[in-house]
Amino acid sequence: MSRNEHLVLIGVNHTTAPIEVRERLAIPSVRLADATRSLVHQPGVREGLILSTCNRVELLTLQEDGSASGANLLQFLHEYFAVTPSSLAPHLYEYREREAVRHLFRVASSLDSMVVGEPQILGQVKESYTIAREVGAVSGSLDSLIQRAFTVAKKVRSETQIGSNSVSIASVAVDLARKIFGTLRGKTVLLVGAGKMSELAARHLIQQGASNILVANRTLERAQRLAEQFHGQVISFDELYDRAAKADIVITSTGAPQKLFGRSHGQHFLQSRRNRPMFFIDIAVPRDVDPRMNEVEGCFVYDIDDLQQVAAANLADRSREAEAAETIVAREVDKYQQRMQSLDAAPAIRSLQEHAESLRQAELRRSATRLSGLTADQLAAVEALTRSLTNKFLHAPMLALREAAREGDARALMELEALYTNNFRGKVDSPDR
Amino acid sequence: MSLLWLRVAVLLYGVAALSVLPAALYERPKWNKIAIPAAITGLLFHFVSLAEMLNAAHHRLPVDTHETQALLGLLLAAAFLLVYWRYRTVSLGVFVLPISFLLGLVPAFHPGQETTPFPQFHTGWIFLHIALLLAAYAALLLSLLASVLYLIQERSLKSKHAATGTSWLPPLETTDQIALRALLFGLPCMTAGLLIGSLIAQQTIGPSYFLDPKVLLSFAMWLAYVGMIYIRRHSGLRGRRAIYLSGFVFLVVLAVWSANQFSVVHRFTTP
Repeated sequence: MSRNEHLVLIGVNHTTAPIEVRERLAIPSVRLADATRSLVHQPGVREGLILSTCNRVELLTLQEDGSASGANLLQFLHEYFAVTPSSLAPHLYEYREREAVRHLFRVASSLDSMVVGEPQILGQVKESYTIAREVGAVSGSLDSLIQRAFTVAKKVRSETQIGSNSVSIASVAVDLARKIFGTLRGKTVLLVGAGKMSELAARHLIQQGASNILVANRTLERAQRLAEQFHGQVISFDELYDRAAKADIVITSTGAPQKLFGRSHGQHFLQSRRNRPMFFIDIAVPRDVDPRMNEVEGCFVYDIDDLQQVAAANLADRSREAEAAETIVAREVDKYQQRMQSLDAAPAIRSLQEHAESLRQAELRRSATRLSGLTADQLAAVEALTRSLTNKFLHAPMLALREAAREGDARALMELEALYTNNFRGKVDSPDR
Repeated sequence: MSLLWLRVAVLLYGVAALSVLPAALYERPKWNKIAIPAAITGLLFHFVSLAEMLNAAHHRLPVDTHETQALLGLLLAAAFLLVYWRYRTVSLGVFVLPISFLLGLVPAFHPGQETTPFPQFHTGWIFLHIALLLAAYAALLLSLLASVLYLIQERSLKSKHAATGTSWLPPLETTDQIALRALLFGLPCMTAGLLIGSLIAQQTIGPSYFLDPKVLLSFAMWLAYVGMIYIRRHSGLRGRRAIYLSGFVFLVVLAVWSANQFSVVHRFTTP
């Protein structure tokens, strides 16, 4: 990013705007290319990317010097979505330069997500980037910034455990099932009762490969509907205890006042399964499974409180990991800024070196007659001497340029550049004058 | 030269054993990039060392107790890599790799001077006899360790604190598979190893060989091994009881191993 380019990001997210505002700004993926194209046609916008998810809509732009502001982006939102800027203003946030870099890195690393550590956001950023590239909206500095954001997100994932533990009841149940069975492919799931929660848990298990679904419910129609939905099979309550041993995972959610499964049931099931483990997920309140069944070797019983405790512990783990992730992001922002600023000093340094070399050559040419009597060795010595002197004279200004770039001191950088290149060139370019 | 390769192998096992700790216990998978290549390279150097030793042993088979230990270490390291390749878990390495390292340490840095009793005969068959029995021992040890991992994971899941501290452990069904498959692999190795040993003994010593306590214990070990597999296979024995059973057979194996000390015909002699 050169000094005449500015990074500006505006947007709304789940913390700043209610769903009513976010849904008005949401851009479906089929329209994202068109919207991105319109964004980069805004005056002053050189490069741009739009990130639109259910929790956020953000415009990330690289803008020209002089025109860089959030106002033109607000204008874009107004034109594209037909929303008044005044209605959006209270919900909008705007980040510039370093803060925009930091925000992008945090978003890609899922530190700004509603559920910190959720993995989908990185895929959504990648999708937006792919579309922006396809329409030619990112190509230069913004491209390298976004690529860097992907690297940072990957680093956060690999160096912290931010996304390793599940935080919803259903996904905790799936995680536990995987700790018991490894793969869930081909596993049999028995749903006893057909509540919403058990349906959700079953859906998660099926997504992970569980294929045989048995449904037992006192209301037959509901059982049939659920069985059809999961391509499963309905079993009557009468045959529940005969068929339950076939199930690897049993999800119970009936409203029965008494326990449906006791410790002796567990022993019986395990015996007929030749000790293959069985996992009981008891979502019912009051509980359907006697907690003492957990004492049976091979039976694992988790009730709703147990699942919630695991989820809460996982959430706490994520928060701890998020702190480590924030440190990584802060370090990466520093590194990125330093790299950008060092790169920024490079043209001035190159220009200074070229100019000094041309002066040296001019001086040597001017003295060519006087030096004509020198031997080859003596000429080589003069050559080395002038080169060495030039380098020594350049050392201090080059160091100062690098330092100013590293410090992000744009004013000092400009002054130094002017002093050692432009003005200097103007005054001494023609030493004969 | 074979000693040098063995030393390099042992050092690499050490590196693998150390780097597998953060990979498994602290869930830092990037350490796998050190642990697995180190284990593979260690195994290769160990194999080269063994091949050189055998090459030099056309007329003489210098297999002493220490070198036998080193060979057991090689087989364990190979078993660890096999499990990693098949199940993508390094958890067993937490135990197996340090054992490989320790088994190789003494032979690599303080090689013994003992040789087998009948080096002039059947060197290839003797080696096969030893290698097959060691493979069976390695399989049993692996099975025992997998059962221990099963028990830890089972306890963790029972205690309802599954989220913390034990995520490095493989799933119960995986450890159960490793434990059973290791035993199923070990049985033919042990059977063939004992048969080859018996045939060589029959030819070189005669029937008196089979009255030796070491030899009798070896056959008892085979029976215990078969019994263990039968019970595990047909009752689906897992967890605590499976560990007791494997532990018992492992004790028999240790008894067979140490019986070299009081065996009359099956012991290493100093030349």
